Formats: sequence, C-alpha cells, structure tokens
Amino acid sequence: MTTVDQLEGPQKVTWCTGCGNYGILAALKKAVLQLDIPVHNLVISSGIGCSGKAPHYIGGLNSFHNLHGRPIPVATGIHMANKDLNVIVHTGDGDCLGEGLGHFVHAARRNVNIAVFIHNNGVMGLTKGQFSPAAPRGYVSNTSPPPPGAPMDPANPVALAIAAGATYVARGFSGDQKVLVKLMVEAVKHRGFAVVDILQPCVTWNRQLTWKFYNEHTYSLQDNRHDTSNRLSALEKALVNEGKIPIGVFYRIDAPDLVANMFLPEAVPLKDHTTSLKDVQQIIDDLMI
Amino acid sequence: MDITFNIGGEAGQGIDTIGDLLTQVFVQAGFYTFTIKDFESRIRGGYNFTQVRVSDEPIHAPVDYIDVIVALSRDAVVAQRDRLIEEGVIIFDDTIEFDDLEACHYQAPLEKVAKEVGGNVRMMNAAALGATLSVLRFPFKLAEEALTAIFGRKGEKIVEGNVAVAKALYDLTTEKFAGKCRYNLDTLETGPCKDKLLLTGNKALAFGAMAANIKWISAYPMSPSTSLFMDIMSYSRDLNIGALQTEDEISAICMAIGASYAGARSMVTTSGGGFSLMVEALGLAAMAEVPVVIYNAQRPGPSTGLPTRTEQADLLFMAFASQGEFPRIMLAPKDPLEAFYVAIRAFNLADKFQIPVMILGDQYFADSVMNVPRIDVSNTKLDRGKLARVDTGSDYKRYLLTDDGISPRAFPGDEGKSIVASGNVHREDGHITENADIRNNMVVKSMNKLPAIMNAMNPPELYGDENAKITLLTWGSTWGAANEALQILKDAGMSVNQLHFCDIYPLRTEKLRKVLSKSKQIIAVEQNVTSQFAQLVKMATGISVHHHINKYDGRPMTARWIVNEIKEVGIK
Repeated sequence: MTTVDQLEGPQKVTWCTGCGNYGILAALKKAVLQLDIPVHNLVISSGIGCSGKAPHYIGGLNSFHNLHGRPIPVATGIHMANKDLNVIVHTGDGDCLGEGLGHFVHAARRNVNIAVFIHNNGVMGLTKGQFSPAAPRGYVSNTSPPPPGAPMDPANPVALAIAAGATYVARGFSGDQKVLVKLMVEAVKHRGFAVVDILQPCVTWNRQLTWKFYNEHTYSLQDNRHDTSNRLSALEKALVNEGKIPIGVFYRIDAPDLVANMFLPEAVPLKDHTTSLKDVQQIIDDLMI
Repeated sequence: MDITFNIGGEAGQGIDTIGDLLTQVFVQAGFYTFTIKDFESRIRGGYNFTQVRVSDEPIHAPVDYIDVIVALSRDAVVAQRDRLIEEGVIIFDDTIEFDDLEACHYQAPLEKVAKEVGGNVRMMNAAALGATLSVLRFPFKLAEEALTAIFGRKGEKIVEGNVAVAKALYDLTTEKFAGKCRYNLDTLETGPCKDKLLLTGNKALAFGAMAANIKWISAYPMSPSTSLFMDIMSYSRDLNIGALQTEDEISAICMAIGASYAGARSMVTTSGGGFSLMVEALGLAAMAEVPVVIYNAQRPGPSTGLPTRTEQADLLFMAFASQGEFPRIMLAPKDPLEAFYVAIRAFNLADKFQIPVMILGDQYFADSVMNVPRIDVSNTKLDRGKLARVDTGSDYKRYLLTDDGISPRAFPGDEGKSIVASGNVHREDGHITENADIRNNMVVKSMNKLPAIMNAMNPPELYGDENAKITLLTWGSTWGAANEALQILKDAGMSVNQLHFCDIYPLRTEKLRKVLSKSKQIIAVEQNVTSQFAQLVKMATGISVHHHINKYDGRPMTARWIVNEIKEVGIK
C-alpha cells in the first residue's frame, strides 16, 4: 500500500502561487495512490521547464529529470530495459510540442507503453513568457512579432496524437481534479502510448488562458456521448478550435504495443537478462571458414 | 608472395561477391588477406571496387599497386590501370563495350560462360574467380575445395554449378591467356596462416558488444557505422537484445541513456554528423552519471562530407564535445581483432566509472576485412562497477559522495529505493539544487574519478627500438600502414620506431614522454589535415612533433605512401 506520507515532496515547490501545476501534482499523487503500484516500480521522466520539476515534488518514486524535449525517448529506453516498470512522462508544451515534437509523433507511431502528461499552458514559463508552440494565433508575448502576436496556429497535441497512432488520447484540466485523476489512472494502466493533454493556466505570463477562461470554456466529452473507439470522430472533436474545448477521453483502442514485436526476454526484464557466451561463441564459430 | 587483386565495376554488379569469393578461397588455402572496399554514395552504377591483398605473411593494410584487375566496367580499367604493376594483368568481361581493348590483357567471356555452363548470370562471380586463379596458375583443386566449403550450405546444385563455371573459365583461360603474371602458383600447397575468421572492424565491435552483454542498441542509419547496428539487430532475436531504429540520433542516444539508467548495458552507433546531434545528450549522460557506449565510425567532414570514405578528423571534436567539463574515455582500435576487446573494455569502463565511453573507428576500419584467429569469448569478464542492489536500504542516494567519486548504482524497480537522476546540478539524493557548495562538491566528485580512469588507460604500444632517432606517432586504424612503413624504413637502414595509441583520451603520458624524449624527429602520421592527435599530445605534455604526414582525401593510407611522404619531407 502506498501512503500519502511516502509521496511527500523531497523539495519545496518553486512554482508561482496559483500555478496550474499544483493541480497536476495533486492529481498525480492521487492517481499514484489509486493505482497502488509499488512506488519502486514507478518512474517519472521529465523534460525541462516548470513541468520538468514535477519529480522533485513527489517522493518515493524513481525519476529522471533529463533534457529539453527528450523525456519521451528517455522514457522509451527505461521502459524497454524494464517493461515491469510504469513509466510516466511529465513534459510541457514547449518541451513536447516544440523541441520534442518529432519524438512525440514517433513514440505514438510505435505505440510504446508509456503515459505522457503534457502540462499545457500555451507559454514558455520558465524562460519568462515567450509564446509556446501551443499558444493561440495572435498571442502577444515578448518574442512574438508586434503587433499581431504569434503569427501562426497552435500545435494540437490531441489531434497529433490521434493521427500519429497513440492508442489512448485524452485532455484534462488542472482545475478539474476528479476527471484528471481518472484520466491519469487510465493512461498509466493503458497498454500502449497514452497521452493526457492537461490544460493549465500560467498565472504569471498568460493573461488569455486563465482559470476563468478554462472554467467557462470547457465541457465534458463523456457527458456528451462521444464514441471513443471511432478515430475519425475523435479527430473531429480534437480539431474543434472555436467555442468550447472538449475535456475527457477522445480515443481509446487496443493495439499491439512496441515490445509485442521485439525480441525481449519473457521471463525477466531486459536489464536482468544475460546473453549466453556459448551463443555468442556459436555465432562466431559459424562464420569460421 | 604478396598479391593484390582489384575487382571493379558498377554498384550492384556483384564486385563485392567476387572479392569475398577470392578472399575466402585464399583464407581457406591458408593465406593472410586484407580487403578494402571503395565505393560511392549511390545504389546503382558509378564505379566501385573491392581490393584484396593476399600474402603468406601477416598484412594489415592495403597497397597502392595491383597485380590483377578484374574489370566489369570500362571505368574499372581506366581508374586503376596506372596502378597496375608491369607484369600485371587486366581481366575484362567481353560483353561490355569498350573502345580501348588494347589496354586489356584478357577479354574473358565471364557472363557468357556463367549463362551457358551455370545457367545463371549470377555465377559470373565464379567465372571471374576461375579466370583470376588461372592467370596465377593457382591449383584448381584448392579452389574447388574452397568453393565447396563456401557454397556448401546452399546445396549441392549450387556448389556444382559454381565449380563448373569456375572450372570452365579456369581451363579456357589456361588455354587462351598468353600473358604472364609475376606469380606462378602452380606448385602451391596450403599456406601458413591458420586464421579462418573473416572480420571487419564493425563486425568485431558487434561481437565484442554481444560478448559484453549489450542489452540495448538504438541507432539511426549512417554510413559507415550502420553495419554494426545491422549485425546486432540480426542477432537480437537469438540473444534477446533490445534493438531499435529511431527517428533520429537524438532519440537514439536518449533511449540508450534511459535504458542504461534502468540497468541495461547500452550503445549507440553513428558517424560524425549523427554524433553532432548526440552531443547535448552526451552531456546528460555525464551529468546524470549514466554509462553509455558511443561508436563513431568517422568519415570525412565537415557536414555530409564524403559519406562512404575515411578520415580521423573527429578526435578533438569528440574529446571536447558538449558544454561543461566532465570525464570521458575515448578508444580507437587499430584493427578488427583489437576492436573485439576494445568493445568489451568500453562497456566495462563505462559501467565502472559511470561515464560515456566513445569508440572511434572510421570507414577504413569499419569496412576493411581481414582474417583473424578464432575468437574465444569464454573468458569474457564483465565489470558492472559499484552496485548497491541490496544493502543500502531506503536512504539510497544515487549521487552519494565518495572518495573515488563513484556512487553505487541501483536501478528503478529495486525495492525500497528511489533512484533519482538529473541533468541539472543535483544533491546526493538526485534532486536538483543551485547551492554553490553542493555544486562544488559534485564537480569535485566527477573530477575525483580521473586518477582511476587514467590508471585504467592502456599505455601506447612501441614498435621498434626505444632509442631510435625517428618516431612515427600514430593512433587508431592507421596503425597497419604505418607499421608496414616502419619495416620498409628499417630495412632501408633508418633508425625509426612507431609509438601507437589505442587509448587516446584521457592521454596517459609516462611512456609517451619516455619515448618521445629520446626521439630526434617525431612524425605525426594522421588521416586528417591538422594532426589532431599531435595537438592532444602537445596539450597533455607540451611536446611538439617535428613533422606532419596528413592524408585527407578520404582514401586509406598505404605504407608506400607514408614512405614517400617521409622522403619528401627530407628525413633521413
């Protein structure tokens, strides 16, 4: 049994007061308690940015706070070395949709069994407010051309994930704990590439995507009879960019994950397997003339 | 006996197969062989060659003169005839149009006989073999035995067909070819060489990695590194090795770092351009103290450079790649046999010191084939370094401060432990910090590894008299050509030795200082333009070399080339 005390953060949180990340951290802890997977079998791989600090604020788990944009490939390696672990990626919109977008798309295509939680606030917070790849067109920031603001449409992680081959794709909101915890638990349990795009306000920099905005502009997919097994209707919902933003599970199917088609040992995790020197010798001897 | 065959033609014509056949026949017959592959970055057409050198004495480099050219295209004659020795022979397939037939000594009906006798144009390889061996008066009996062994696995029919085609061309050539080769091997018995394992540098590294219990390899294809990745991939099923082709080199190394953090011995393979992409993650491996083995099969740069050719110009780049300062190890095997053991050492050193270990090869090293003695893997020793798998309990600290700078490793999944790693400056428990004292402690911790790392580096090999007046300073794959040059120079009465390095970084200097202090003329022989290793030597010791011999045309060195360069410099 995992306890609340075990998960107490090893470090003092450095996020701004009122930051959407608090809600994501709280939901993560609740999800870990609910999952009741032994903490030594949980691993967080995080990138760089405010989201990347998440592993320092939750205790007991394993974690690897690595590089900007690269937590997905690092997580993939961890998972391959030990498929008994549950690997969770904490990444931001700059991390995942800017620097690391290629990895995101290819990991979805591979359907590698990891869960990716995107802390999505539309802004580069830690570098002080530049427009992120998820910022709306026209978003004004210190690096978007004045006056029109961000001169392009935002990246759409939900639509990208569905199109690329992810097998569990959802959107949560940091302010809706009940739904977010449920989505996190499902994503970790799901066998395959699971994405939860988590809307969160950046209270310091983003004056547009605020608590108020999200509270007023989100609605539940599940309360509105969405068919999560239909890829096209999932994509249709994902591409909505006017009016209210759907929250909940967009798409969920069962499909073979990456390890299903690789030759990993069955009895033990790859990391504990030892190649037989006799087999290597045989390979060499077979080449002798 | 020292014969060189040059088999040339268009990409896709099977020149490699003819080269392989020739090599196998001579290895089977007890000779030393050394084969280089020279090819263009294209799938079909163009002009490529395979050059096989055969000797009854050990050889470790190609030569720049040819005894027999087997030409499957016009270019194959034109490009090489200047290198043909006076008594040399050009064998030319008579179906190919050529306006300068005078230049060819023997127009052989290779394709015709393959079709007529073998019923398959692919048996042209056996036809070329038959013609070539006949020119040398090589006893057909030996060839027949070799062909039977080589094609045996493919069934009796294939054996018979190939033997028949080879024999037909052999006999036809004996009858029709009026010229004479400088070698007449008709009384040849089996040779002295018992080395029956044909290896490239890349294949040897793959075998070393497999013996060292590599459990993860991720890579993006890049010449000339790819064949190593392909080899491990091909055995991944039998040996249970995780192998994955990634979207790019960044992903490849990040996956390897993740897998290694989780406890699997991991490796990436690439060339200079791919390594450039990996540099940020190289720093991550260093900061997070995650062991990883990186293989760079160098090719001429910068940028795409010459994709299928050779150079040793990434040395300083790799020694100083990444922001920040951290210990790393660089090893450059001289040939396939050494490469096998270097791969095992690389994994052991990476685990022992929890640092990135880089193996430097190059296209010449990667693709050249030589026969080596059977490799016995049964004595392979694995050193996983300090582990804290059971005894430390719940207060495990991934970056525990220790006298030697090395903290015991544990892996995610170990009960009661939380393994916290980070690319940020971190505390002993792995959580991040900006505290100045902790930063200092962690920098000192990483530098405290250096004395033991230095101790683990092998000193250079000295060939020849320690008190010689002239020293050839070499590293990595240029060893063979330089070593052969050393013999030629010594035979000519010069006082010369060779100081050769496999372990190039960090540079161990005791023996280096001792030998170089006695030398009056130090000559750096390097496959690059700025003598990068000599620069490293100067950095580490203050010793400057006196002369530089540099090759940067992308083609491998030969002993004769080195000797000529030395003469040109005016050294006596």
